[in-house]
Order: sequence, then C-alpha cells, then structure tokens
Amino acid sequence: MTTVVTKALMEEIERDVRNRLRRHIIKRGGAPEYEDEAIFERVRASLGRAVDERNPDALLLPELLDSDVEWELQTHLRLSTHRPVVGRLILFVKRRVLLPMTRWLFEYSQENFRRQQRINAVLFACIEELAIENARLRERSDV
Amino acid sequence: MKLACVIHRFGTDIAGGSESHCRVVAEHLAEVHDVTILTTCAKDHVTWKNHYPRGESHVGRLRVLRFPVARPRDLHRFMDISDLVFADRATLAEQEQWFRENGPDAPELLDHLRQHGGSYDRLLFWSYRYYHSYFGLPLVASRAVLVPTAEEDPLIRVDVLDRLFSLPAAYLYLTPEEAELVGARAPARAPSAVIGCGLDPAKTGAATSRLDDLDIEDPFVLYLGRIDPNKGCDTLLRNFLRYVALGRRIQLVMAGPASIEIPDHASIRALGFVEDSVREALLARARVLLMPSPFESLSMVLLEAWNHGLPVLVNARCRVTRGQTTRADGGLYYRNAAEFEAALDYLLTHEETRTRLGAQGRAYVDREYRWPTVMAKLEALLRQC
Repeated sequence: MTTVVTKALMEEIERDVRNRLRRHIIKRGGAPEYEDEAIFERVRASLGRAVDERNPDALLLPELLDSDVEWELQTHLRLSTHRPVVGRLILFVKRRVLLPMTRWLFEYSQENFRRQQRINAVLFACIEELAIENARLRERSDV
Repeated sequence: MKLACVIHRFGTDIAGGSESHCRVVAEHLAEVHDVTILTTCAKDHVTWKNHYPRGESHVGRLRVLRFPVARPRDLHRFMDISDLVFADRATLAEQEQWFRENGPDAPELLDHLRQHGGSYDRLLFWSYRYYHSYFGLPLVASRAVLVPTAEEDPLIRVDVLDRLFSLPAAYLYLTPEEAELVGARAPARAPSAVIGCGLDPAKTGAATSRLDDLDIEDPFVLYLGRIDPNKGCDTLLRNFLRYVALGRRIQLVMAGPASIEIPDHASIRALGFVEDSVREALLARARVLLMPSPFESLSMVLLEAWNHGLPVLVNARCRVTRGQTTRADGGLYYRNAAEFEAALDYLLTHEETRTRLGAQGRAYVDREYRWPTVMAKLEALLRQC
C-alpha cells in the first residue's frame, strides 16, 4: 500500500476549498478582480497570513496608539471604590448583591466584547500585513 | 538515583494533562529509581482547596509527600492580574505576582526544597506556569529538570520567564514545537530531550458491545476530553452542525465532562465522563477522532487514537497538533468551517485513505511513543545532566 502524505493531501483539499470559495464570492457579487484566480489567491494568502500567522499580542499598531487614550476594550469587570471608610462595604454589596442580579447581562456583554476584541486584533494584523507588503514593494521599486 | 517529581497536584483520580504525564512517567522511573512525588494537598485546579491529607503516603512504588496550600486561589485577584499580564501592561513585579496568584501557594513545599533539595540527585518540575516551578525551581536549579508543558498562549511571552527558563540544568519537552518555543530562552549548554509520552499497545478486540446501551449510531466521529470553550469545543459544535445541515448522515459522540451547553440535536451524543473500557470501545469503533483545541503542549488523545489505528482531524491553528499529525501522516487538519467540511467529507468518503492514515498513525506511535523508547531518552538525559 502506498504512503498517504498528509501535507500533499491537504494541499489538494485546500485548493478545492479555495476554488469553491472564489466561485461562491463571485456568484454573490464579490470583487470582479476575483475572476482572475491568481489575484484571488494573492489576496487570500495576504489575509490568511494575517489571520493565521501574526501573533495578535505582538502587533505594531496597538503600540503606536496613544497610551493616554483608553482604546482597548476592558473585557473584565473591575469593581472599585474611592471611599476609604465605607469602601469595603460598598464593594461587598456590588460583588455579592448587584453583580449576581445583573450577571446575565454582564456575561452577555462580556462575550460580545471578547468577540469584538478578537476582530479588532485580526483587523490590526491585516493592516500590518498590508503595510509590510507595501513596504516591500516600495523597497523594490526604489532599487 | 534518588529522584523527586514536583507537581502542583497529584492523584490517581486527577485527569489533567501534565498531572497524568507526571504520574505515568514517575511510575516508570520508579521501576529503577527511588522516586518521591513532592506536591500539594490540592485536588481542585480552580480553587486549590486542600483535599488530600498532608504528609507522607504511598501510591504503588511512589512515595508521595504532600504540603498544604496556604490560601485558596482568589479568582477576582487572579483575573485582574491576568488581564494586566496578558495585555502586556504589567511590570516585572506584577508578572511575578501572577505566579503567586495562580498558585497553588504552598510555602512548606518551598521550605522542603530549601532544606532537603540537596538530598535528591535530580528534581523534575512539571509545568512552568505554577507556583511550585516558578518559586521552587530556582532553589534547586543545578539539579532541576524542567518539563515546561508549554503552550503557545500569552503567558509564554512574559519577560519574567527569561530568568526562570535560564536556570534549569536540563529540559524535557513533549514535542519539537514546544522545544522550539522554550528552547530559545534555555541555557545553550543545558541538555534536553523531546520525549512525549509512552503508550502500551492497544488491546486488540476492544469490547465494542460496551457501546450497545449508549444510544450510539454508526457511523460516528469522536471527541474525547473536557468539553470546554478553551478546548475549541464551541467552534467544533458550530462546524459539525453546519456539516450535518448539508445532509450528511453522521453522529458526533462527545465523551468527557462538559462545561458548556451541548446542543440537543439528533446528530450529537454527549456521554459525559466515561470509563476506560468505554473509551477503548469508542476509539475502536469511531471513524475519525476530532481534536479542535487551539492550544496543546502534547495531545495524548491523538496518540491514543493512532494507537487504535484511528485517523484524526485537528485544528491547524494549533502548531503542536498539526505538527504531530503531519509527522505521523495520521490524519488531516482544518483552519475554518469550509476546510473542516471538506476534510471530514474526504475522510468519511475515502475509506482506503482513512484506514491508511490510521495505520500510519499507529506506525508512528510504534516508532516514537512506546515506553522503552521514551524511557531510554529520559534515562540518557538524566545521566547527561
């Protein structure tokens, strides 16, 4: 019996999936440039690299954003008080009474915030991927 | 040699990945060495509440020394500091505090290492992410072997780990991917070995009659393990429901404790925790094993599936499981729902290829993961460091 090589088989399956995806997007009125298989493949590869290969915790754009501006989503609820004396009591009431009563709303929002945070990271990665490609092209055209 | 295996919790009734790995490796080491397990009294991995009695006990050939957890984990404080650390906004002191909050905080275990660490020839520490490794390993660094069980999650990149990873006398890795992830920060001269984990050959003729009363329909695909969002199970359920909506006739059997709601659907059968004999029967009769987890340091369940000649379908975003699968040529992988559908379809409709991939997986386990092979690598490392 001949050996089945996973990587080779996956290349075949991935090619089929890409072709189906391209036809599906064109059928639904997507970018006419995708009639050209090579262009579609280049776009898909760029975006695919951003989604699959970029580490969302090591991107340039978030570092460049003004650190004074609270731009990051706060997905965890942080309960605090500025009152030095009754602060502990207030925190206790917030944690043990108010939070349990509104937990369903908190959990619903938290899940959506997490999704949004993931999308933000993916979009940052896409922009970075395109910027890298642009820098490479510029470097080549300058030579 | 007199060896110590240091682990955050230990027990034959504990199913965690690194805990099970420590237990089976220690049992095999105890066939030729004097092995002591140094651990805590905790059983619950969320609260670290003391459960087992402190002091000395014996499990087979292993001597077990348990030390009490000084304080249970405060989840509010832990989540607050995790937010800071994982968003790369923490100072070095806050990063170090993360390991205290993660626990299990067992100062008496550290005292034992300080006072008696020199009486062991080698001390093997499992899992870099817990208190016992972070604060305990530096106390006995010249005799310490770290088994990091590292995954590609945000913690692995924190700066404070540079010091910890520079200390061990040697490293034991579970996969080449883990060796690559941690190895760059390890001392250049520290010896290391990639051992994975050993398996005994699967028993032939598993009693598939054990499945008769479980309302399982052939053909079925299998998920084995904790049913948890962190294991990619919510995405797996979405992908699978999309797949059966295309008109495919196949059941998904999920065996393991669930922490998410499993849809009430005719094509999904959730069994909860199952005994070993049922697990063996499931592996013997399933068509494909599904492994959707995005983070793993070694997927034991892939090795178990291949041990039964069962091909696998894994999440390609996990470098480790994708690496295991391509090295074994034991299955396929997917990145998204469309690839999941296409790859699963291929496996279910190409019987000869499916059987061949499963057989290649078993040959890979025979080559790399039988106990004599694994222990020979481990013994060579212990002699070398």
